[in-house]
Amino acid sequence: MTARMLPKNRIEEFVGRLLEQAEVVAPRRVEVGDVFYGAVASAEEVAWDYGHAVEPLKRFLLPQRETMLRYSTGDKVRVEAELDEQERVFLGIRCCDVTGIGVLDAMFGGDTPDPYYMSRRERSTVIALTCLQAPDETCFCVCCDAGPFLAKGYDQQWTSLPEGMLVEVGSERGEALVRSNDDLFDEASVDQVAARYRLAREAEQTFGDFKSYIAGAMSKLSMNEVDPKVWEQAALRCMECGGCTYLCPTCSCFTVTDRMEDSSGVRERHWDACLYSCYAREASGHNPRPEREDRLRARFFHKISYQWAQRNGRQACVGCGRCVVGCMAWAHMPAITEGIRRGVMT
Amino acid sequence: MAELATVCPFCGCGCGLYLHVIDDVVVGVSPSRAHPISQGRLCVKGWHAHEMVDNPQRLTHPLVRRGDELVEASWEEAVEVAANGLRKVADSAGAQAIGVLGSARCTNEANYVLVRFARGTLGTPSIDCSQRIHSVPEVALNAGNSRPGLDTGQIADLDESDLILLVGSDPTEEHPAVAARVYRARQRGARVISVSTRTHPLAALADVHLPVRPGGELKLLGSILHVLLVEQGMAGDADVSGLPELRASVADLPPEETQAATSVPAEAVREAALLYASSKRATVVYSTGLALSLHASAAAQSLENLAALGASGAGPKATVLGLLSRNNLQGCRDMGVAPDLLPGYTALGDDAAVEKLERAWRCELNRETGLASWQMMGKARAMYIMGDDITRTMPGAGVAREALASLDFLVVQDIFMSPAAAMADVVLPAAAFAEQDGTWTNLERRVQRIHRAVSPPGEAREDWRIVAGVSGAMGKPISYEDAQQIFEEIKDLLPVYAGVFYPPLAVNGGIRWPTAQPRDAGGAPAAREKIGVAAPPEDALKESAAGAETSDEYPLLMAADPTLRPWDGEVTVCHTLTAAGEFTVMDQDYPDGMLCLNPEDAKRFEVRGGRPARVVSATGEGQMQVRVTDEVPRGIALVPYNQAARSGPMEVSSQPVSGRPVLAPTPISVGPVQ
Amino acid sequence: MNNPYLPKLATIEKVKTETYDTTTFTLRLDDPEERKAFQHRPGQFVELSVFGAGEAPFCIASSGHGRDTFDLSVRKVGHVTGALHEMGEGGQVGIRGPLGNSFPFEEVAGKHILFVGGGIGLFPLRPQIQEVCREADRFAAITVLYGARTPEDLVYREELDRWQQQEGMTCLLTVDTASDGWTGNVGVVGTLLTKIEIDVSNAVAFVCGPPIMIRFVVQDLSNMGFGENAIVTTLERHMRCGIGKCNHCMIGDKWVCKDGPVFTYGQMREMTEFEE
Ligand SMILES: Cc1cc2nc3c(=O)[nH]c(=O)nc-3n(C[C@H](O)[C@H](O)[C@H](O)COP(=O)(O)OP(=O)(O)OC[C@H]3O[C@@H](n4cnc5c(N)ncnc54)[C@H](O)[C@@H]3O)c2cc1C
Ligand code: SF4
Ligand code: FES
Repeated sequence: MTARMLPKNRIEEFVGRLLEQAEVVAPRRVEVGDVFYGAVASAEEVAWDYGHAVEPLKRFLLPQRETMLRYSTGDKVRVEAELDEQERVFLGIRCCDVTGIGVLDAMFGGDTPDPYYMSRRERSTVIALTCLQAPDETCFCVCCDAGPFLAKGYDQQWTSLPEGMLVEVGSERGEALVRSNDDLFDEASVDQVAARYRLAREAEQTFGDFKSYIAGAMSKLSMNEVDPKVWEQAALRCMECGGCTYLCPTCSCFTVTDRMEDSSGVRERHWDACLYSCYAREASGHNPRPEREDRLRARFFHKISYQWAQRNGRQACVGCGRCVVGCMAWAHMPAITEGIRRGVMT
Repeated sequence: MAELATVCPFCGCGCGLYLHVIDDVVVGVSPSRAHPISQGRLCVKGWHAHEMVDNPQRLTHPLVRRGDELVEASWEEAVEVAANGLRKVADSAGAQAIGVLGSARCTNEANYVLVRFARGTLGTPSIDCSQRIHSVPEVALNAGNSRPGLDTGQIADLDESDLILLVGSDPTEEHPAVAARVYRARQRGARVISVSTRTHPLAALADVHLPVRPGGELKLLGSILHVLLVEQGMAGDADVSGLPELRASVADLPPEETQAATSVPAEAVREAALLYASSKRATVVYSTGLALSLHASAAAQSLENLAALGASGAGPKATVLGLLSRNNLQGCRDMGVAPDLLPGYTALGDDAAVEKLERAWRCELNRETGLASWQMMGKARAMYIMGDDITRTMPGAGVAREALASLDFLVVQDIFMSPAAAMADVVLPAAAFAEQDGTWTNLERRVQRIHRAVSPPGEAREDWRIVAGVSGAMGKPISYEDAQQIFEEIKDLLPVYAGVFYPPLAVNGGIRWPTAQPRDAGGAPAAREKIGVAAPPEDALKESAAGAETSDEYPLLMAADPTLRPWDGEVTVCHTLTAAGEFTVMDQDYPDGMLCLNPEDAKRFEVRGGRPARVVSATGEGQMQVRVTDEVPRGIALVPYNQAARSGPMEVSSQPVSGRPVLAPTPISVGPVQ
Repeated sequence: MNNPYLPKLATIEKVKTETYDTTTFTLRLDDPEERKAFQHRPGQFVELSVFGAGEAPFCIASSGHGRDTFDLSVRKVGHVTGALHEMGEGGQVGIRGPLGNSFPFEEVAGKHILFVGGGIGLFPLRPQIQEVCREADRFAAITVLYGARTPEDLVYREELDRWQQQEGMTCLLTVDTASDGWTGNVGVVGTLLTKIEIDVSNAVAFVCGPPIMIRFVVQDLSNMGFGENAIVTTLERHMRCGIGKCNHCMIGDKWVCKDGPVFTYGQMREMTEFEE
């Protein structure tokens, strides 16, 4: 590993330089106390000591609502696509959220890349910030190989040490950022690198009760061996709010709608949730997943089956714990995987 | 992208959410974790709240009727037409002939100004809000023992309870933020007792579920009290006023006696009562399933009795949480949107208080008791409707539409072309929740700030400004600078809001009234003055014993279930872009009504799921589509209230005391459509 | 970057009424380059934009051989299909595609080809029937069985007549409910299977129609001895993107839009979400 140090007193300068070239999106505290990732105007605004952001970064790559096309329907139809070409640096992002971006990359890349997503993604630099202790009692990234420290998936990974940020470089893009700001970075000492590994081990010990038995659930789901009772019981809990999917760093279902204003139209896409009863409903009224248990089963199959893990490069849960917070009832990832393991929902 | 903290515009829970705004457009919603109600969660409606704001179907310009058509007009013209039309009806038929409807969707400030407009400018006492037909505190009010709204608990009580009693409430459908607390309470070991006809998800998960026959609620609660007070000797010689009378009233109600009327096995009732008695801290939750029943007041009183017993030291400590269905139904009532009250629960006969209002408003107020919304139907000659979904809320097939069609003049102020707006002479486009400042008061009297995050579309304006404009055109200007100024006046004039300040954004979760100390966010309500219980009126008990009798001719009992799909067809949720499907499926799959039947009954009457069935009652007949589900007990047919309200075979009755119309359980026969 | 969401403009060349609710639209892409590049195989579909109303998927209902136009047959069921039915010749629409996989062709050469269509299930089968007919001598035999609810619901009337007359080809029709003047078969389409002679060891069946019809016909075919992989069908699902991004069409570990819409019965049985 090549590691560098960004001394404490140079962080502000570094962020200042980032701001000259790009929008910097970092954790920041909003008025009533919640933390969101959002554009900052200076290093001062960054909530370095934050626990968890209310939402993952998804909104910046796949907005809840975005314009895909604009068209005019006069004599001759004219259609234009609109791409977001803003350069962005995602700074101080939690490891689970960084891992989540990797899953989205697999979903929106591939042999038919999604230009709206890719346009943003190709213009973004991801700087992860490791967790020195579990940010929240609901975190379970340790069960998902997605934190509290990462081995890959970032452009840079920062670990907060008393003297400054230990910076690991994970990509050419991350390296370029060091190179072009050479004057700000020092070489990291052996002790500093050793501290990073010690901190990582210590951090893992701080994770609490919210274990998620992903591996066991994965094998049962993939082999179609989950007791149907589990889904029926889960259906008594799920309220179809869509929150787990909207808060999930890797859920990316969307729907498309057209809207007209005079003779110009806009085609937009909006987040959608596979748990909604009309998600798969066809124009004829036929619904291939009429019951809530059918939809729950489909969702968790997509999230953590071996089949989809193969297609996406990894299973799609990163252990951020947001579904635990956001679930109206008790049908979030750890509750379901526990239910699958035991064959009954508690 | 900026996140602006505001409050969800749908149910009475009042979740905190953030609107994401880019270039004066709302592009998304996030839940607030720091907010005391949402705690990081939103239900499907909250998650899509932004979609109804920037929606191509919003009303953007004032419209004036020309023959069969509504055509665009300037504000000046539309306001002039509205003022003249109202004046003409007042001149010919008297001001009382004008009915005014406020809205539980609109802010306190708008409703307050509307009351001033109705009683002062127009001079009519007939001001109401039809959503009140679905309200709960009035039940408590009618029960007579409590000051308005004052003795409901708060949502956070659920976190401290080891027992939750759900009566006529399916919070998973009606009050998701409450359901979230119940699920969490269950998870940490709290026990749940459910009393409702339908085995909704929380009932299925409850420790004891009592699937009561529609109409049997009062008797069932009486039997629970019987087990506690008579069999268990609870409250022994406690010094509680009314206790001997209460004990006497339930003396004859052992569960075995009421079993026939309630369809609930005696053992189950006893089990529930004992489980209740063994708890330390109970929260009793009730909602429309009880509030819209015939003897709602007496039944609510029974629940209040449980709380009173607890407060006296007999039985578990308990709070009663009456759940209101709409975001600002509480505030609407607080502001005096009612034919028999003035703002702040000021009695019409309280001369000193009325004069205080008259001085502040510089006008004379009509001090009579006016028509309730249901009484306006057919009696009012003109109406001014601000954001009220009267065609949806008024029970009885076609009642509201016919009444609106027969009016001489109709003004509707709304954000969408609601069915009422489509029938209006003048349509005034209003700003949506994300486009105006003001306050809402949630079901636990939490006064919360809503916030102008974006500009209204086209020429739409804030509700209170529209009303003030029409008032001005009628020669009685109402002038305020902004919503805050209105709120300051409310706070100064209305004792119940004393101490509540206009919450700046930084006060997350608002302030509960009444609050002794200002700035004490979430301050506790004043303690109950005197502990007392009350026996249900004797005739209520008797009548409910009779219930609706089924017969060989009409072997099934059909009841309207207000907790079932309560949001389907509601004008704002239907105008979300992605979630709309969730709120319109009912009309697609069950266009004539969803008749929920137990599998055995479906078999017995030879009807099939998804297919139409013929429904016949003594009052009428019609057709409905069947849903077969074991959530419904045998012998019962449940129909979502909103559909039942439009259905021919459903009988409309009225609650004693309040006179509110309710849909009475109706014996029916069911058969396949030939 | 190529934007797969950007529709190509096309003009409606011809509008032909098939039944009371179904119309065939013949479309031509406006741009000559795009027209040349638009190579499609039977079984594939397009996403059609009616500007102002929205987008919906439709199978390409004609063989691409020797034509620079293509047909979409559309039943009016809702918002987009309703708006399309309001359009006439010369109207402009948007087209994305061709999308999805296609029916096997070379792989089934030499076999007895059996087509079983129900209702508008004949749309996706039509290009395959046309191509198989064009090279009829490469196949052992061709049989088309087609059923509709009533005689008024039968689509492609003239073509059905032609198929019935074509040598080496059998084409049988049936309706669920006869109306005046109907002298043909009455009954569900599966009943026609008893009226044909077929050597199942050298045959392949292409089956399209409503879900319930597919279920029964597949059962009948299995009983006749058709192997899982000798039964081919197209699946219909709610679709939005058509390119494996929105997940609306997902079934088990497949996207119907991208991995399908053509699947063999064997593939369908392997899907975790498949109900028989
Ligand atoms: C691969 C494929 C090929 C098809 N080919 C044909 C065809 O050749 N002829 C034909 O008439 N119909 C075909 N359909 C069905 C057709 O797509 C639907 O009838 C159409 O989407 C209805 O759109 P609407 O806006 O009129 O209906 P609405 O009910 O107003 O809108 C429903 C929306 O949901 C989606 N949707 C609803 N039902 C379906 C469905 N069954 N399939 C896909 N999306 C759906 C659409 O995106 C549509 O915009 C096909 C569907 C698929 C998936
Ligand atoms: S629970 Fe009620 S207040 Fe909360 S998001 Fe849902 S509708 Fe809004
Ligand atoms: S239609 Fe979007 S993934 Fe198939």
